[in-house]
Amino acid sequence: MKLSYGKAGLILFLMVFSFLALPTLSNAADNDASFIVQNLTAEDIPNDDGGGLVLSWKPLSKEKRIIEYRVYRGASKDSLFFHGKVDVNVKTGSSGDVVYFYDSGYNRFVDLQSPGKLKKEDQQSDSSPLYQRYPRDINVTGPILKNYRILGVIPQKDFYYRNKKVEVEEDGESQVYAGLKIRHFSGLYKKLKVDKKYYYTVLAVTESRSYKPYCEPIVGIPRDNSPEITKKFYSVFLKDEDKLQFEWTRALFDSDHSDHSIYMIHKDDLAKFNNFIEVQKLIEENVVARKEDPEVKKIEQTHKNPAQLIFRRYCGYPYTPNNTVSVKIEDGKIIDTEQDINIAINTKSIEDYYFTFSLSDRAGNETFSAVTQSKIMNADKLPKLPKEWNVTDRKNDKGDYNSVYWGKPSVFLTNSTYLNDEKTKLLVNYEIYKNSKYNEIKNVYFKIYNENGELIDTINEFYQDKKLKVVLDKPSELISFNMTIRANGEYDEDHVFQQDLVFNPTSKSLQPGKLYLNDTEVNKYKYSVYKRNYSNQEWRLSKSSMGSQREIHDNIGYRLAHFKSVSKFDAEKQMFLVSPGFTIRMDKQLKNSIRANLYPSEAVKSVEQYQKEIDKYTAMKDTMKTRAEKASADEAIEYYKSQLDLVNHPILERAASIKNKKSRLKYLEKARRIASRSFEYKLLLSDGKAGFTESEVYTTNKKSKLPWTKKVRTSFTTLGSDHFFPLPNWFQNEKFPALIATLIFGILVFFMIREAKKGKDLYVRPIAGIEEIDNAIGRATEMGKPILFVPGLSGISDVATLAGLSILGRVAKKAAEYDTKILVPVRNYIVLPIAQEIVKQAHYEAGRPDTYDKNSAFFITTSQFAFVAGVNGIMVREKTATNFYMGMFWAEALVMTETGSTTGAIQISGTDAVTQIPFFITTCDYTLIGEELYAASAYLAREPLQLGTLKAVDYFKFIILAFIIVGTILSTTHATFLINAFPEK
Amino acid sequence: MKRQIPLMIVVILGSMFVVHTFVPHKISADFFDWFQDWIKAISPFAILLGVISLSMVNGTKIKRKAPNWQYSVVTLIGLAFTAIAGFVWGTQTGTPYMWLFKNVQMPMGATMFSLLAFYIASAAYKAFRARSTEATVLLIAAVIVMLGQVSLGAMISKWIPITSKWILNVPNLAAKRAIMIGVGLGMTATSLKILLGIERTYLGGGK
Repeated sequence: MKLSYGKAGLILFLMVFSFLALPTLSNAADNDASFIVQNLTAEDIPNDDGGGLVLSWKPLSKEKRIIEYRVYRGASKDSLFFHGKVDVNVKTGSSGDVVYFYDSGYNRFVDLQSPGKLKKEDQQSDSSPLYQRYPRDINVTGPILKNYRILGVIPQKDFYYRNKKVEVEEDGESQVYAGLKIRHFSGLYKKLKVDKKYYYTVLAVTESRSYKPYCEPIVGIPRDNSPEITKKFYSVFLKDEDKLQFEWTRALFDSDHSDHSIYMIHKDDLAKFNNFIEVQKLIEENVVARKEDPEVKKIEQTHKNPAQLIFRRYCGYPYTPNNTVSVKIEDGKIIDTEQDINIAINTKSIEDYYFTFSLSDRAGNETFSAVTQSKIMNADKLPKLPKEWNVTDRKNDKGDYNSVYWGKPSVFLTNSTYLNDEKTKLLVNYEIYKNSKYNEIKNVYFKIYNENGELIDTINEFYQDKKLKVVLDKPSELISFNMTIRANGEYDEDHVFQQDLVFNPTSKSLQPGKLYLNDTEVNKYKYSVYKRNYSNQEWRLSKSSMGSQREIHDNIGYRLAHFKSVSKFDAEKQMFLVSPGFTIRMDKQLKNSIRANLYPSEAVKSVEQYQKEIDKYTAMKDTMKTRAEKASADEAIEYYKSQLDLVNHPILERAASIKNKKSRLKYLEKARRIASRSFEYKLLLSDGKAGFTESEVYTTNKKSKLPWTKKVRTSFTTLGSDHFFPLPNWFQNEKFPALIATLIFGILVFFMIREAKKGKDLYVRPIAGIEEIDNAIGRATEMGKPILFVPGLSGISDVATLAGLSILGRVAKKAAEYDTKILVPVRNYIVLPIAQEIVKQAHYEAGRPDTYDKNSAFFITTSQFAFVAGVNGIMVREKTATNFYMGMFWAEALVMTETGSTTGAIQISGTDAVTQIPFFITTCDYTLIGEELYAASAYLAREPLQLGTLKAVDYFKFIILAFIIVGTILSTTHATFLINAFPEK
Repeated sequence: MKRQIPLMIVVILGSMFVVHTFVPHKISADFFDWFQDWIKAISPFAILLGVISLSMVNGTKIKRKAPNWQYSVVTLIGLAFTAIAGFVWGTQTGTPYMWLFKNVQMPMGATMFSLLAFYIASAAYKAFRARSTEATVLLIAAVIVMLGQVSLGAMISKWIPITSKWILNVPNLAAKRAIMIGVGLGMTATSLKILLGIERTYLGGGK
């Protein structure tokens, strides 16, 4: 089609008009006031740590064509910063009558994407209080620090080596901070402060990106609430062991939880306890009400809590804490000296006691669960842990996993499908859980019984393809399976898994029932692996798994950043200030943290400070009158003494002896890394209702070889025996066959190249598509039409593109020799300069630099179908005589080649895309299938080096074929060693 | 030097990536991540080359008043217009840029894609003409597979879906895997040729 000036102008006019005018027209009739968001409220989020508010407002009707609601927040009404948005589907509008926006947790404060300077929000007047995100300008963001809890994430190298020591006068004393520029933080995150007023407003944005007026700002105050009530709490009394066991469900919000406690209440005190709880609830409400209105009368607790504390444990956020505990009763007493617990309990009438679980937060709020009584049982009813379980460093990884494995492999059915209408043929799927020890499954034996208990089939799965074919005499509603495994050469005939396939009327198929191991239901129990490192007091959950699972991989990521609270800034130095201290590990008793400082001089100062504090409290003790005051002073003295002891810890002593600042920090970081990445483990098997068995902490005599010096290891004596540190591996064993294959292939290549260089005639099978290339170019020359060469649509990292470009070199050289124009449209802009260079070089090599046109290789677009449209246009307009398609193609392949076919061009294609080969074969005159694409360059070059490689490929294919045949024969005779020698993927 | 430096870069980095395949160590993983980031950082600059190329090709056509040069005007105005829309109003939902994308580029792309259905029909006609024994086998297999995918096939005979499945899972899969093995080896051979400096065409020129 010929495009006239008129038509081109009309197209452009329509484009410009439609895109500028249409969206505006659709909203033109609406009044701005009707776009103001209504009923905006900010409510406190219940049971949280006082860092969350939920905003809600009435959404505008879908006729308003709203695409998003933008939320602004600030500590004062006159400056509200963009905080977040709620996207809306313009066609359907908001679903529901209310839109909710949760402002909770840490969210972005300032990072590299923030604007450099303070900027008004788009389309706002000078008097508008709305601004874009907080800028990177510290003069603006610095004063805002006080309004939020700010968390700085600092990459390790920046924290250690790019800080600047900044001294600040505080209360007449000089405090030292580490100053860091904004660019040294990978991110600064903010969270609401408890009981602080925040202002919010929301504005709607229409489809044409018009910012509508914001609504009147409202106030929200986050409150620190009591933790949520624990939903389920179970207790078991083990009569024969005089032991109480407890288990509870974990809380949803736990960021400010400090303690897990269990209380015991005698049945006579239950009413008193309930009264106490009632008043407690009223007090909590009263506290909030008095914050809102100081005039509200204070409510005092009128009842004494009759519940007696029998257990308390710190629960360390941000990790998932342990949710089980065993409390031993000795001589009728529960004793815990650390928690000052000494309670008498009559185990003969345990049913007289009720138990309640409480969650406490850092603000001192405490919530009690509903009371429960203990289920009485003997320890033999508890689930049994496997006799053997192990912890090991996972193989073939970068050192970020430990493996915990137990028991022998398990096998179970997962599904079944009828294979015929008579329902007598079944395809049964099964799964095997292996572990690091038992990882070579030789056989899985299935004994299949009908509903009368008669054996109908025995199957030996010597190659586990995870599916069985079962043939029945008649349709059945129940089939039973007994399954045994031979693993690592061991066959335990007493380790029998039983599972039924039961007819399910809903799905009208046989579905797997419960799995039993020697008559014990396997998945009734759950394994939980807990871990603890040198830097944590409490156990935390690593992973939970089903009873049938035999291994978990515990992720131990590399810690590459320091998390620091940021509350100060230095406007002059343009720096945020953070504490220069950091924790290395806890002491041996897991009570106190061993802390280091970025600045050695500060470490010395802290010793003086501790001594000063000890002297101060010792002097104060003489003037104190009450016993409580003296006890408190003793506690303080004890604390500072323990801190002084820690200053002399071998890690810090060694660090102090290192003079070079960088080396000192490197050493401290190494110690910190060992402490935080070495874990001890324990295993727990539970029914989820306090019926659990817990292992001892795993320990081994076989200490693994670790790379650190004795000096380092003296501070970590249990490393390798109790604490396990994952080490990175230098070779991936699973890839050993691939390495051998690559080496053999490499040797073959060298050998064949040598042969070719010696002049040996290497026969290469004629490939019609390649042989026709010269003729196709000749045809274009005769016709005086250009050649089109498409080097695929993929990027330069695709080997098919490289192969295509190699062929382009040969084709372009031939075209240059014949003085025929070549057009190379390119989709990938990185491929473009390479294609241009190839065509240019081809012209030079052909001795025709004068005919080279720099625009012969050109970029069209990265969009897949727009590129096709462009290429098709070229074919139609330029009437190309020969079209080459060499490289990677997707759905567009057929659209191009069919167009080429209709223009009458001779077409030669080559691709390794299996899905596109049929289309190329159908529509092109010649097609290079798969590997032929890679062979083309060598075939055309006819150089010994290239032909040698080609020949090596052929020989290697022969080796593969031999392996396939031998493998098939061996597998048929139940010899699976060859198949198993190769990795599955 | 113009050839040797890029060749050295290819050989050194290529060898490092071969090593990376077999070495899971953190050093190797970090190097790979660093390299990926580096690629992300530099590749946007290459788009400038694409824009220059597009402008040059179409600019030359307009300058020389080559046949159908008006298309080039539309292309260049479209390029400039979209770029300006993106730079001035941003690329968020509701901006002119996104409007152009949703209302111009997407429908046009979908139009081109929908043409595929007709081309497939035309290609199928060409492929399934029973001109030879092989083509007849192809035709029969295709009919069975097509019928096997719809309920009509099962209504005609229960063997049609079974045969269809067998064709897809046995001969079809076998052929596919054979091609895949060949492709895998071809890729390895090409990579090896590039690593050893045997294949240098991609650097521009044959030798």
